[in-house]
Amino acid sequence: MKFRERPRSSIKIPTASLGDIAFLIIIFFMTTSIFSREKGLKIVLPEKGMEVKIASENILTISVNPQGEVLIKDAVVTIPDVKSIVEQELANNPDLVIALRVSRSAPYRTMINVFDELKLAKADKISLIPVKEGS
Amino acid sequence: MKKLQRITRRETEITTASTSDIAFLLIVFFMLTTVFRTEMGLKINLPSAQATERIMKRRNVAHVWLDNTGRTTINDNLLDLNGVMSVARSKLEDNPDIIMVVRADQDVEYGKVTDILESLKDAGTLKITFATEFEMK
Repeated sequence: MKFRERPRSSIKIPTASLGDIAFLIIIFFMTTSIFSREKGLKIVLPEKGMEVKIASENILTISVNPQGEVLIKDAVVTIPDVKSIVEQELANNPDLVIALRVSRSAPYRTMINVFDELKLAKADKISLIPVKEGS
Repeated sequence: MKKLQRITRRETEITTASTSDIAFLLIVFFMLTTVFRTEMGLKINLPSAQATERIMKRRNVAHVWLDNTGRTTINDNLLDLNGVMSVARSKLEDNPDIIMVVRADQDVEYGKVTDILESLKDAGTLKITFATEFEMK
């Protein structure tokens, strides 16, 4: 039995535009992705019930009153001075723990500015004292 | 007159067959490194600080938003303090290395921030970062 031979046309898939499609997807991913914009001031909170007693001579309390004034040892200081004072205190006593007591109605910005100064002074033992409502 | 000799032209070709391979390689890179923005957040002005550090591990980060009227959201859900605690606890169960980033407005009362910190402490998420903008000296 004789088979008729089919005329074969050479089949081609055009791949010239494949690169264009791929680059389109690249642009999509490039515009939607955000490169590590996460930044801030780090702190590790103490665990509940892990309160450690610290000798009172090793604590330096920095307070911020409702008006946003910063007090160290009952004396009002300006925020840029906090760094040098804390550096001095740390040089005198390396075990010093800095306790930051901020009034509930003080602006958050002031607290961050003071916290920033503490970070710049390389104080790594910082304690944020929670102030309960009505106190 | 001398006869001009015709220059035999060679057909020049730039092979484009491999551009798509390169492109797909780049796509794979972006697909693996990208983290989609999943929440809208609140409109806030972050405070600025000189000691601002970068957080390298984006996948371990969860945001708590706090705007200047005291509204708190996580994943675009308005929450009260109990809500913050339960959401933070479930995030901690999903990822024990979670870092909670407090994105609070610079004009908010500090009392709202300390309440959130207490809720996060109750939830057991102890790694906290206060989101700030980098400030040059």
